[in-house]
Amino acid sequence: MSRAALALALLALACSRASQPQESLAQKYLRDPAAVERGHMIFVGTCGAYCHSTHDVERDAPSLFDCEWKHGGSDQQIFDTISNGVPNTRMPPWKGALPNGDDDIWKVIAYLRSATTCATPAAH
Amino acid sequence: MKHALALGLALAFSWGSAAAAEKEEQPAEIQLPPVPTHWKAENPVGTTAKPVTAEMLNGQVAPTDHWIQYGGNYRNFRHTPLKNLTPESVKKLSVAWAFPTGTTGQFEASPVIYGGVMYVTSSYNRLFALDAKTGALLWRYDHKNGENLRLCCGPPNRGVGILGDSVLMGTLDAHLIAFDRKTGEILWNTEVGDYKQGYSLTSAPLMVHDMAIIGVAGGEYGVRGYFDAYDVKTGKRVWRKYTVPGKGEPGADSWAGDSYARGGSPAWTYGAYDPETDTLFWTTGNPAPDWDGDGRAGDNLYSDSVLALDPKTGDVKWYFQFTPHDVWDYDGNTQLFLVDAKYDGKPRKLLVQANRNGFFYVLDRSDGKFLRATPYLEQVNWATIDAKGRPQVNPQAMPLPDSKFRTCPSNLGGMNGSFTGAYNPDLGLAFIPSAEACQVFTKGISAFKEGLPYLGGLPDTVDATAGKAYGNMAAIDVATGKVKWRYRDNRPMMGGTLSTAGGVVFSGNLEGEVLAFDAKTGKVVWRFRSGGGMRSQPVAYELDGRTYVAVPTGSFSTMDSFAAGVTKVPEGGTLFVFALPK
Repeated sequence: MSRAALALALLALACSRASQPQESLAQKYLRDPAAVERGHMIFVGTCGAYCHSTHDVERDAPSLFDCEWKHGGSDQQIFDTISNGVPNTRMPPWKGALPNGDDDIWKVIAYLRSATTCATPAAH
Repeated sequence: MKHALALGLALAFSWGSAAAAEKEEQPAEIQLPPVPTHWKAENPVGTTAKPVTAEMLNGQVAPTDHWIQYGGNYRNFRHTPLKNLTPESVKKLSVAWAFPTGTTGQFEASPVIYGGVMYVTSSYNRLFALDAKTGALLWRYDHKNGENLRLCCGPPNRGVGILGDSVLMGTLDAHLIAFDRKTGEILWNTEVGDYKQGYSLTSAPLMVHDMAIIGVAGGEYGVRGYFDAYDVKTGKRVWRKYTVPGKGEPGADSWAGDSYARGGSPAWTYGAYDPETDTLFWTTGNPAPDWDGDGRAGDNLYSDSVLALDPKTGDVKWYFQFTPHDVWDYDGNTQLFLVDAKYDGKPRKLLVQANRNGFFYVLDRSDGKFLRATPYLEQVNWATIDAKGRPQVNPQAMPLPDSKFRTCPSNLGGMNGSFTGAYNPDLGLAFIPSAEACQVFTKGISAFKEGLPYLGGLPDTVDATAGKAYGNMAAIDVATGKVKWRYRDNRPMMGGTLSTAGGVVFSGNLEGEVLAFDAKTGKVVWRFRSGGGMRSQPVAYELDGRTYVAVPTGSFSTMDSFAAGVTKVPEGGTLFVFALPK
């Protein structure tokens, strides 16, 4: 391959990557069973019980396993909702409150993605 | 320059006119008056009645024209001396009046009736003074709770306390407020706790001597639980009793490390009082975090306990812990009955409780000695109780990350501190409504941060739709601990209870029915379709020769769902008052 052809190929690859949406940490963790399991355990220990059901059940705390996201269904929007909470609901802001900070929030999102019952989840 | 000035003035005038014209075209901005939240009585009400006295509260059984305590009397019998509410007569009950609260969430109140006035609280802390015969609204106060309340389990309030001419209500943002019962005027407003740390008040205060005693909720937020006594005249705190010991205090070594500092053990329900021995009894809730005890090894005193105290000082006389090292959220704070009865052939002062953990306890209330515990539910497998009253825990029932074991009862009980039972002293029977449900308890990861939920795990009602979660009303013979009769409802029963001297038990279900049972047999002798799930504490009273039964209705679908109940029934509070024909 000539130098020009190589440069052209590298340029094409770079352009291709630039046009793809950046992968969220949740998508990265979704491929890591240990990360998904940690997200699961945080959900069990922190998000469930009197709040979100582990099943596709609607309470005042909504189901997180169906297709509906009241405050945006992209990974980043879910991250923002978990981090900032929803004022004057029972959803508090969790930023800085989990043992491993933001990383644990992304792992919770990875768990939610892994356990969803929605056939067509929102764009990540 | 003059021309320039004139031009400038003309332009300015022109712009001003244009702006004025434009403004005229806009609809005038209407200044709405602020939404009223407090409507005082136009004329003083309940004036024919004298101030409520300690002697009136000391009465073993309430007179029939008033109901002035959450528990009916200090012994918490919730038993009216009205003899005309019989299995036959209740079939003639009809609606005398009804009243809407305008709020959703659990309507858990036990109305107070005094001087012909009914004082009833709704969810979100509305307080209504109503004509007890007609339902006419006399005064009203809507509390403006703070923003972002910390509520694990809904927005209920279970009623007011009354003493002198004051009516007192605790709020979801942890204030205790005193009102003039005749006018609705606020007499004082005291902060009991910082709600942003997780504290809230849902109980009615218990009035003892000249004090109002009330405890905080917040066990799901890792608060340090306590209950307080306040001077009813001034609102000043007389004493505070922490339910979790501080560093170096007796019992602190029952917590690993410094876990006591966020140990929960709230005191969110109602106590009992024995005037003969001047002893206050108060119960405590679960240690935090609820379902993960790894970081708090030990018995976790004084969670899940009953404390006997000197009401003048808050000093503890004795304690008994029902569920040491609770990892199921079984609390210890269901209703206490103070029963004087024969035990093993000898007269004894008993303390009786259908605990949330599924066992019916009998203690000697003079010293806290354990006498007996018997299961009152059909499904109990988390433990057996040994001869000293200590649970011998089934290892399979311990929460694990991957548990599959179906543990009974569910974390809500059994009975639960948010609703009441009743005791008929003539029959020696305690009537206990309960949720018969089981759960898989799993343990997860949690971290403490002030004001945020601190749970540690998750109870999952796995077979709610398989007929294995249902309601249960049990009549328990206090002398033997045996169940005399049971009524089974389709869904967990989470409504309170009223017993009558005429031999009837009132309660209700989550599917929207008010029920009356024959106290001797458990046969349903009357039912009324209220429409709303029943979560309240019914009361009865007699005015001008007519007998009334008041039943608040309206549930909270989130808790219904959690308790394996029904979620299709709409929320919305309605108070129904039934009457016998005159």
